[in-house]
Amino acid sequence: MAEIRIESVTKAFGDKVAVDDVSLTVHDREFLVLLGPSGCGKTTLLRTIAGLGMADSGRISIGGRDVTYLPPGERQLSMVFQSYAIFPHMTVRDNIGFGLKMHGEDEAAIARSVDEAAELLHIEELLERRPADMSGGQRQRVAVARALAMKAEVVLMDEPLSNLDALLRLEMRAELKRLLADIGATTVYVTHDQIEALSMGDRVAVMRDGKVQQIDEPNVVYDSPANRFVGSFIGNPPMNFIDATIDLAADGSARALVGEHEIVAGAALSDHVTAAATDRLVVGVRAENMHVTVEHSEGALPATVQVVEPLGSQNLLTVLVGDSRLKVSTHPTFPAKPDQELWLRFPPEQLRWIDPATERVIYG
Amino acid sequence: MKSRRRSLVPYFLIAPALLYLAAFFAYPMFQGLLLAVYDDEATLPLLDGPTVDGAEVGRLSQGSGITISDRQGNRLADADVVDNDEFATGLLTEQWFQVSGEGIEGDEVSGWMPESRLRVRDEAADGTVLGGTIRPRLGQSGDPSTALRAEPNESAAEIGRIGERVAVTVDETAVLEVWFQVVDAETGLEGWAPSRFVEVFSDDETGRIDRGTAGEFTTKFIRKMVDDRKFSSAWRTTLMLIGMILPLQFVLAMAMALVIDARLRFGSGFLYVFALPMGMSDLAVGILFFSIFSGNGLLNSFLEAIGVIDAQKLFLTADTQGWILFAIVLAELWRATSIVMVILVSGLQAIPRETLEAAELFGASYWQRVRHIVLPLLKPSIQVALILRTILAFQVFAVVIALSGGDVVTVLANETFRQYFSLRNNNVASAYAVFILLLSIASAVFYLRAVRAQEEVRPS
Repeated sequence: MAEIRIESVTKAFGDKVAVDDVSLTVHDREFLVLLGPSGCGKTTLLRTIAGLGMADSGRISIGGRDVTYLPPGERQLSMVFQSYAIFPHMTVRDNIGFGLKMHGEDEAAIARSVDEAAELLHIEELLERRPADMSGGQRQRVAVARALAMKAEVVLMDEPLSNLDALLRLEMRAELKRLLADIGATTVYVTHDQIEALSMGDRVAVMRDGKVQQIDEPNVVYDSPANRFVGSFIGNPPMNFIDATIDLAADGSARALVGEHEIVAGAALSDHVTAAATDRLVVGVRAENMHVTVEHSEGALPATVQVVEPLGSQNLLTVLVGDSRLKVSTHPTFPAKPDQELWLRFPPEQLRWIDPATERVIYG
Repeated sequence: MKSRRRSLVPYFLIAPALLYLAAFFAYPMFQGLLLAVYDDEATLPLLDGPTVDGAEVGRLSQGSGITISDRQGNRLADADVVDNDEFATGLLTEQWFQVSGEGIEGDEVSGWMPESRLRVRDEAADGTVLGGTIRPRLGQSGDPSTALRAEPNESAAEIGRIGERVAVTVDETAVLEVWFQVVDAETGLEGWAPSRFVEVFSDDETGRIDRGTAGEFTTKFIRKMVDDRKFSSAWRTTLMLIGMILPLQFVLAMAMALVIDARLRFGSGFLYVFALPMGMSDLAVGILFFSIFSGNGLLNSFLEAIGVIDAQKLFLTADTQGWILFAIVLAELWRATSIVMVILVSGLQAIPRETLEAAELFGASYWQRVRHIVLPLLKPSIQVALILRTILAFQVFAVVIALSGGDVVTVLANETFRQYFSLRNNNVASAYAVFILLLSIASAVFYLRAVRAQEEVRPS
């Protein structure tokens, strides 16, 4: 059992608070991704878990053991570093076996574990070579093998794929996911790449300015962002946001208007509007969740095409609705030209309603 | 395949540097080192007659024993006498005077005679001889009068005679250089040579070739160096100092570098303190440590103050070589450890943080990290520092002079200095310099080879 519990951890560098009162739990054998833009504190949080930086306050426990003040070597975890941090003067074999040697394992056990780890990552033929004449991908495999050879219950990964080229990254992504699922280690994986986060993680924790914004399964984070930041950070293209005014009728029913056109919302909108006490809302909607038609249909809003980007599997349109610029994805055969007038229909169940004051999603 | 066009600009840029190197560095150094193996006074050519125009009949090497079979004086040009220093040194000359006075037959005679026949009685302010009297021939039978000759030369025609104690005036003075006809004691080779190259023994008949005019390669200066009674003590002491200082120095420098690299609070303060001795000249450090160890020095004062000794103990005397060596080691450690430290610190800072963090994370203790990560990755820096320090250690000088006066304890650089300045023996001094150079090259090559395996290890 290696559950990681992080309780109210704060870590500052001078005046800059890198991790601000973060509490989260990584379940046993779970693959948790820490996702966020650079400077959001995700790497600092990971290093605090590793013990490479001591938390200013708060408490960290691994498998029920309080490790807050333990040095990294005694936390019984292993790590893959962003720069790989392979020891350049050692052979691959010595690199992979380093942790075991430091923990005083006997030669035979080390050799066995090294061979196993090398086999897992298909680098058996590299074992006697030195890192200096190896490619980035090979070094990356050595770094992962070194981490896995420890057979630690917790594996930390700090942007391990960021130094690889795009194709290799795609390949390693799937391989890493399979490997970590096979060995069943509790994994904390830091990345700024949302595709990596969504595709690999059991859960994704989205961070910004040292705080966790949302922690959920990948599809939930994508479909139902907790706030405007998560919606705009995740997804390519990011979620569209349309400013709407709320017309509260005498009978208590609310209507959302963009210009003079109404966006049809679910019936419960009025309750949330009343609770938030606001007459303005932001509508969030993903590019693939709008219906585009050439002809006018019931409840549709007029839009003007500005840019058409054919992307192969889809055409990405940039359209203007009122004052808001939206990205809309269509079937590649959909006929659209710049300056063309189109009609957009918003399915109520796909809309996320955001209070502009708090930027939180209050409904949907 | 088309070859890549090379830019000529770098070659133009490097040309002045190469010229500078050749003119002001390589050439003088070559000339200096040449002295060790080249004797430019090795042989003296013998001529077939007592003139500089004579044909060479053979050569005698410096030091050859000879007998003198004949002598002759050659008049020197005035310019040579006055201006030429080289002519003046060791020049065996004879002055001849052209005198006029009353001859033995009562007539007025005038002619040349050698200085040995004149008692000078009248000199001008500048020393020019103006007149005198003819010396008497004491205790000699035969003609007591003196011959006057047409030329300032024994073989010139006699043109008159003049009696004893006759007053004469000196009309002209000539300087003659004496030439010897010499016979080599071993080979019997006979020929003429100017007297200044010949050392004449007291019997006035035998002598040896003092120095030659033609050079040749020789090992005699090297032999002279090796045979010098101080040579073996000099190189032993130099190597012993290296053997004692370097290991201690590297341990200390490594510790200092690790302290600085640990980024402690006030870490930069440590750097300044550690680097302070780099700002002091080695002679100043030598004098500093002299003032500690001398009779009235700090050490004695301290020991007296805490009551360990009652009277001053003399540390730096001819009988306390051990103490002198101890003081030298201490001074050198204090003085030159910081340069090693600076090199090691720069090497430490080139080791990526994440590499050390990875080692820590995988369970390596501090000492394990130093042993398994830091020291191997620091090898190139250690190599540079070792080469630099060893070469500098072969040159250790001022500290030794300051603490031992360069006599009780001597080192190679000190012997070089002593041979050159005290003994005026340029060639042997040069041989010492060559010896130091060879030792430095050998140690550099040794270190480079010993740590060669390192090259494939460097992070790319």
